[in-house]
Amino acid sequence: MMRIIHGIGYVAYILWAILTGSFTIVTRLFRTDYAEPMIVELPMRCATDLEVTLFASSITITPGTLVAAIAAGNSASPPVIFVHALFEDSEESALAGLIDMESRLLAMTRGRAPGAQPENEGDRS
Amino acid sequence: MNETLATVLVGIFGITGSLLLLASALAMFRVRDALSRINVFSPATGLGMPLIVAAAYVFDLHSAGFSWSSLLMAVVAVLCLIIVSSVASNTLARSTVLSGQPVYRKTNPNRLAHPPAGVVDVDPDVDVDPDVDEG
Repeated sequence: MMRIIHGIGYVAYILWAILTGSFTIVTRLFRTDYAEPMIVELPMRCATDLEVTLFASSITITPGTLVAAIAAGNSASPPVIFVHALFEDSEESALAGLIDMESRLLAMTRGRAPGAQPENEGDRS
Repeated sequence: MNETLATVLVGIFGITGSLLLLASALAMFRVRDALSRINVFSPATGLGMPLIVAAAYVFDLHSAGFSWSSLLMAVVAVLCLIIVSSVASNTLARSTVLSGQPVYRKTNPNRLAHPPAGVVDVDPDVDVDPDVDEG
């Protein structure tokens, strides 16, 4: 039941992100410094294929962020996602936005919000 | 449905969607590399084309009346546009990176080229022992 509530909230969050991101892209057309591209690296807390796929698709559908590459995890390190971001102020703010989206996604797929750090190998099945 | 309301809704949805497509095309000229061009095109496929589908659905609702099949077609079209746009952008970006397309030189930080501070990348293909000779 909690998953359905989180899922509805997540879909609304994604739709809102699409709206605001499109607005950003359009309004920044009138500025001289259009974009500050960066490629940031985020160790994911997503563990299963479904979570990684949903997370990558959610990032890409949000205007202004794009998944450039995904590195597979192993027993010692979590999977890593490389995100191309255009309109973020700094690497920290880009990562904060991505971690917020990931927390909402994991709250949907797992029914509760996860911890802050990527899980170690002991937590994986 | 009211004639005026239908015309206004079709106009709002259709013109907004078309302008988003135009803005995305203009934005592609403002950025410098392939990854950024794939990135700034997502308002067109993620918001502009669903708005045009909404305009077409409102027009159909006004001219032909309500039917479940046209509503289903519109919903499926919007969902498919969003999902296909996302997966296609992922695939394009991945092939761009893998094909060695140059990344704009002012991309900063570029974590595909430089690891974050404190992270040591070990290349598993490089032999860690310098004393071993090959062949």
